[in-house]
Amino acid sequence: MTFRRIATGLIAALLVGGGLLWLLVGLGAAAENQSREQREAVVTLRAATEMVGQAGASRSQAAAIAFAAGRPELRVLRVVNLEERSLEVSTAPEDTGERAAPRKLQRDEKALFDEAQRLRTAVATNREGSGPPSQEIAIEEANHETLALAGPLERDGKVVGMVRLDLARSRSGGVPWPPLLPLGLALGLGIGAGLALRRWPAAQLVVAGVALVGALAWASWEGQRDLALRAQQSGAAVAARATVEAGRATAALGTAGAPATVTPAAWDTDLFRRPWPSVAAPAGAGLDRLALGAGVLALALLLWWGLGGAARFWQTLRRHRVAYAYTLPAMLGMLLLVFFPFFYGLALSFTNANIYNSNKPISEIWIGLQNFKEILGDFSFIQRTAGGVVFNYASFYWTLLFNIVWTISNVAYGVGLGLILALILNTKGLALRPVYRVLLILPWAMPNYITALIWKGMFHRQFGVINQIIQMAGGTPLSWFDKPFTSFLTVFATNGWLSFPFMMVVSLGALQSIPGDLYEAARVDGATRWQQFRSITLPSLRPALVPAIILSVIWTFNQFNIIYLVSEGEPSGSTEILITGAYKLAFQQYRYGYAAAYSTVIFLILFAYGTWQNHVTKATEGL
Amino acid sequence: MSDRRRTGGLPQLPMHLLLIVVTIYTIYPALWVVTIAFSGQQGLALATLPENPTLGDRVRAILPWPEHLSWANFHDVWTEQPFGRWVLNSAVVAAATTVVGVFLACTAAYAFSRFRFPGRRTGLMSFLVSQMFPGTLMLIPLYIIVVKWLGLGSSRIGLVLVYATTSIPFCVWMLKGYFDTIPKELEESALMDGASPATIFLRIILPLAKPAVAVTALFSFMTGWNEFILAATFMDKETMYTAPVGLRFFVGGFSQQWGYFAAGSIIVTVPVVVLFLFLQKYLVSGLTAGAVKG
Repeated sequence: MTFRRIATGLIAALLVGGGLLWLLVGLGAAAENQSREQREAVVTLRAATEMVGQAGASRSQAAAIAFAAGRPELRVLRVVNLEERSLEVSTAPEDTGERAAPRKLQRDEKALFDEAQRLRTAVATNREGSGPPSQEIAIEEANHETLALAGPLERDGKVVGMVRLDLARSRSGGVPWPPLLPLGLALGLGIGAGLALRRWPAAQLVVAGVALVGALAWASWEGQRDLALRAQQSGAAVAARATVEAGRATAALGTAGAPATVTPAAWDTDLFRRPWPSVAAPAGAGLDRLALGAGVLALALLLWWGLGGAARFWQTLRRHRVAYAYTLPAMLGMLLLVFFPFFYGLALSFTNANIYNSNKPISEIWIGLQNFKEILGDFSFIQRTAGGVVFNYASFYWTLLFNIVWTISNVAYGVGLGLILALILNTKGLALRPVYRVLLILPWAMPNYITALIWKGMFHRQFGVINQIIQMAGGTPLSWFDKPFTSFLTVFATNGWLSFPFMMVVSLGALQSIPGDLYEAARVDGATRWQQFRSITLPSLRPALVPAIILSVIWTFNQFNIIYLVSEGEPSGSTEILITGAYKLAFQQYRYGYAAAYSTVIFLILFAYGTWQNHVTKATEGL
Repeated sequence: MSDRRRTGGLPQLPMHLLLIVVTIYTIYPALWVVTIAFSGQQGLALATLPENPTLGDRVRAILPWPEHLSWANFHDVWTEQPFGRWVLNSAVVAAATTVVGVFLACTAAYAFSRFRFPGRRTGLMSFLVSQMFPGTLMLIPLYIIVVKWLGLGSSRIGLVLVYATTSIPFCVWMLKGYFDTIPKELEESALMDGASPATIFLRIILPLAKPAVAVTALFSFMTGWNEFILAATFMDKETMYTAPVGLRFFVGGFSQQWGYFAAGSIIVTVPVVVLFLFLQKYLVSGLTAGAVKG
């Protein structure tokens, strides 16, 4: 019985560990194949670009024809000249006779012109460093056999057009083999030794473990060698391609009557036209840690299985299969789109993931606690200068402080106004009560992004109605978003407006459930109004109000839409709350890793708060 | 004197004054947006001010009533702008979110309410903890997973999946609370008669829980209909915008089409406000019940 358990455990662990390793190596190989194809294609594009650039507008068509002659894999080469709005070069079969290049661009070729302009803008943005970096070389699979590439054409350091290339795809590399030999050997060894050691289950488990670890180590070593070899081959292939293209370009320039030399060394770049790292990180660099992870996982699986965990697990599953079947769909959804992203986000917070490297495996961009040090280590949010106290609005602690002030002020306002209104509305015999009630709930019913945009409009400097009211009262209009305090007032007004109805409705519900006899009895005993309020009303409100306040604190703390849409953090990030800060780090500065670390800190704060309030209110008792 | 007796000793007039002031405060922004929507113009001003405005002109400038009544903004936002398309996107996303979300929540809540199984407490607690993940915290990983890995950027499917799963915890807690109040004896007698758990769930529990299911459905629908930031991040293509993203597009950045925004807001808001006013009392009891007793 034990032997069978250990044997099946070994098989499962080998399958899982080996499978994971194979997957990792396969993904690495696929990425390497793809990057090799891309680099080769880019080299050809850059060769064509340089050749066209050197040849000058008048001779480029001749050079291009010579360059493309006798090369079936180079399907079409086109050059768009932005200054002249012309098709400077085309080797397309349909562009002959009447349509032969160079000629003006035609109406149906507007897409080409637009693409050229987009590339020119991308180059300009990247040079100025304004805005997120954008790709300067466009590459896409035109169809299954063709790659379409486009890059900017520069003459005298200025982007004057675009070179567009249709290349036949060259698939090279292939997929690595699964590590069958190590796995098979380990299985044979494990089973053989297990049979020989029938009486000593502990020894069987140890042998199985050793066989497993050995097999995985071997397989991972093989995988790394495979990847290193691939990287080396890619480098060689790209270099060879550059030499060949350089020869062709020089020859074509000669044929066109514009002899010049070319610089093949600069051609091997990424899509941002930055040189491909000459000493590339060895392709298997990240594999080490991942393979270790797979190994630990497999070993844990073997132990768990071998010690009977799996059997017990199956038994539990079978006994409660109906319950698990009912929870399965929701759990699966939560696992894939809530818990996995959450842990993935945690992992990202230890990396320097950004727009350039978000496709790389996490192990390659791991930087440890650096993000957290940077976020939490910046204590300089208040500085004393000659001119007084200066706040550093970009500091985490400023944002946290603002976030706390924001939350407390809003919740206090919401509870205060909500409670007062509820007490008034609860008055017996109040005329028009249902009308007031419906009208006062309105802010809660409105979608909050619309509320936010409405208030944003009402706080407009010139035409906003708030400034009109101020002017009517004889004041001078304010630029609300220019000073941190007035900017805070705008978001406070907006959020205050939309948050009190919830508190009002909750308090009203609680007030109405207080039996009237209580007050009756109190009055008979001669209690004053204030005493009645203190000893009957407030205690009865507590059970409803406390959870509502807890909810409201969390909602307000994370009230993204109001800050993001009304003050937008103006001026200079002073009215940012933590989550809008994190959002801007991620989607305006594209620092995914740093923003993930920021978000993790937010989560920890909320978690601490949640644990504390749970401790205080015992909300989850009696589950 | 009779007034005083009915209100238990407090005079009504000051209360009415306070209520009227607060009511003006609550409905003014709504009237403001209605005014701009019916003004037929794109500007923010409620009235154009003359060169040297008198107090009367100043008062006119804050009165929420358009200078010229016009349907033009409603007509144009629907015909000249892709707003109809955006509303359709929102409707499809919200409806699909409702169907998927309610299905997932009902089944899970039933199991959590009726069965005792290992992992039940952990599951419920993990749902509760996941409510503490702020949306934006999930945004970065979700963006990388849904847009970069699955390639579901600018796709309604991506949004539906994310909305439906993120609304699960709340819906499960709410439905579970309701299922807990349905007496077990009903099921036990059905079990005696040989009904299977599936029959009990579909024939007994779900029909009895109709009000709670309706509120859950409403909640899911509102999540999909009103959500702004995920949609703004995921949907790059203008044709795939949802209504919230589109409305922000009218007045975000340097765009100042307040007339379109106002008309569009009214089209989007009126149905949910009406629904909300009808159903809000269930929402409150669900929210606080979930939070109080667990």
